[in-house]
Amino acid sequence: MTTALAAAELVERREILPGQWLQAYHAPGLASGARAGQYVQLVPGAAAGTILRPPFSINTADAATGIVTLHYRVSGPPTAWLAGRRPGDRIDLAGPLGRPFEVDPRNRHLLLVAGGLGIAGLRMLADEAIRTGRQVTLLFGARSAREVYPSSLLPDEVEYIVATEDGGLGHRGQVVDLAPDYEAWADQAFACGPRPMLAALAGLAAGRRGRLGVATLGRKRGAGKVDPVGSPAARRKAFLQVAIEQEIGCAAGSCLGCVVMGASGIPQRVCREGPVFAAAEIDWERGW
Amino acid sequence: MKAKRRVVTSSPRVAEQKYPTVPKRPTAPNPGRTAAGAQRVSSRRPVEPPSSPTPVPAESVDLSVDLGRGLTLPNPILAASGPFGYGVEYVELVDLDRLGGICCRGTTLKPRLGNPGPRFVETPSGLLHAIGLQNPGVDVVIARYAETWASWTTPVIVNVAARSVRDFAEIARRLEGVPGVAALELNLSCPNVDAGGALFATDVSAAAEVTAAVRRATDLPLVAKLSPNVTQIRPIARAVAAAGADALSAINAVAGVAVGLDAGGRTLLGDATGGLSGPAVKPIALRVVSEIVASVRIPVIAIGGVTSLADVLDFLAVGAVAVGVGSAVFADPGLPVRLVESLAETCGARGMTSYRDLIGTAVAKPQRPMVRSVLANE
Repeated sequence: MTTALAAAELVERREILPGQWLQAYHAPGLASGARAGQYVQLVPGAAAGTILRPPFSINTADAATGIVTLHYRVSGPPTAWLAGRRPGDRIDLAGPLGRPFEVDPRNRHLLLVAGGLGIAGLRMLADEAIRTGRQVTLLFGARSAREVYPSSLLPDEVEYIVATEDGGLGHRGQVVDLAPDYEAWADQAFACGPRPMLAALAGLAAGRRGRLGVATLGRKRGAGKVDPVGSPAARRKAFLQVAIEQEIGCAAGSCLGCVVMGASGIPQRVCREGPVFAAAEIDWERGW
Repeated sequence: MKAKRRVVTSSPRVAEQKYPTVPKRPTAPNPGRTAAGAQRVSSRRPVEPPSSPTPVPAESVDLSVDLGRGLTLPNPILAASGPFGYGVEYVELVDLDRLGGICCRGTTLKPRLGNPGPRFVETPSGLLHAIGLQNPGVDVVIARYAETWASWTTPVIVNVAARSVRDFAEIARRLEGVPGVAALELNLSCPNVDAGGALFATDVSAAAEVTAAVRRATDLPLVAKLSPNVTQIRPIARAVAAAGADALSAINAVAGVAVGLDAGGRTLLGDATGGLSGPAVKPIALRVVSEIVASVRIPVIAIGGVTSLADVLDFLAVGAVAVGVGSAVFADPGLPVRLVESLAETCGARGMTSYRDLIGTAVAKPQRPMVRSVLANE
């Protein structure tokens, strides 16, 4: 368990969208250990007046500069408190917590699907993929044009496609509508966002192999050996991985407040087994 | 009307005659008041020299407490059932051996999946939760954790929940004699399926019946956890104590509902009703604990919104002999251990050789609970 507390100093902050903040913290230990998909918890102290430690996706982490960024929406006392911090202020973050995205090293084309603030869970994966020379397409869905993530905050190499529910920018409708156009191109897909969006994508991913007639290319490594469900190796082979946004309680796996129902019928703890899951590990029908 | 008016006009003088020695409260900067007057006020109330206690080293303060039937805690700070899981999750984060005790998650006879999510909603100063007793069942709990518990010096109190008297007794039988299980805590806030789903904790006879049945089934020390969601706690506390409970713990979570406008005006929890914990329930817990203390002679473990040493002292003052820390460990897993340290330091600084001098100071003297220390028994 790595629940080391990291003192983080606020370096820069910006309200990038109405009510949504991007804050850069100097936290070298955290920045060097973090992987895409993991999260941190804000240790609130007496000032924030909160009972749970609010979780935040690690938006980006740069080991070279020791900078970790958080992207969040102000919704409640802890985030309002956090948004009130000024450069130079110190906060305590616990992390990195949870399990990261697992990218198959052979895959070249990555499809990222973000719904709203779900972009915070995927942003770092885009960085990692670009750095390793992969092609990245990001599908982004929002309610209206004013909530669309600014393309200036993305690496230039990312192909960025937007859907808005009111049609104010890009495709009119749900971001899930765009996904079928890319499922043949993509080697692997990663998603973060509202639960119905993830469920729809999981449905698409489940039928992909049959629909496209995908053949597994190359040498069949470890043929006959079945990786245990939920293991990093099994997740690496999964076409779709999702990061689930959930209230987190203890982050130690003890309180069982953050569970989602697993496909095996056993509740899965988002804080420990997640927040990243292979889509097939989750029982999407149960709606937990 | 005339008579009343006369009384009103004359009252200041009457009052002054009746209580001539009542000193006026000195108000802060008041130019009208003479220096002599101010001096007179102070001279009328001579400042008593603070009885300077001889400080006692914190490590020699006796924090031990005997809850009956051999359940002795090294100190009165427990991890309350729920957030702390089975304790094993915190091995790397917390020095568990310095806790007074650990109450594990609610354990049922058969495995339970618990409630659908969301299971948490944070409310002002509170946490509304509806986990639904997710647990792997008593047999798996014993197989998985008992050995680890036995290796700790801290006693582990297994929280037991069931939907019938028979199941309660059966779980108790299975936990009897298992190394590492120091005591049982009966979670009475469960629906009794034999009585149409009414909670054990809300019915005097059902609560007593369960306690008596478990008492017959096991020799383990028995703590009954009472619910605040009742009209009268006293008869329930008395009945449970008479049925053989060695100690009582209170309070379990306060029933509550959260509705969200953002969620389309629907209830926010997966299971509509949840239990409220956190600082919001502390005044309720203080009231319930003081009522229980006044009605039974067995020790009471107070639980409810403890986040600081001041909260611990408040609960001790109303007569609790031990205090459980629940939802506060979410923000600060190290809190219970720090409370142990600061309790010892506070006692030491006040010259107390035992924390027992803090117990029941808010209670009328004849009603103060008898507290046995482990040392006193020797």
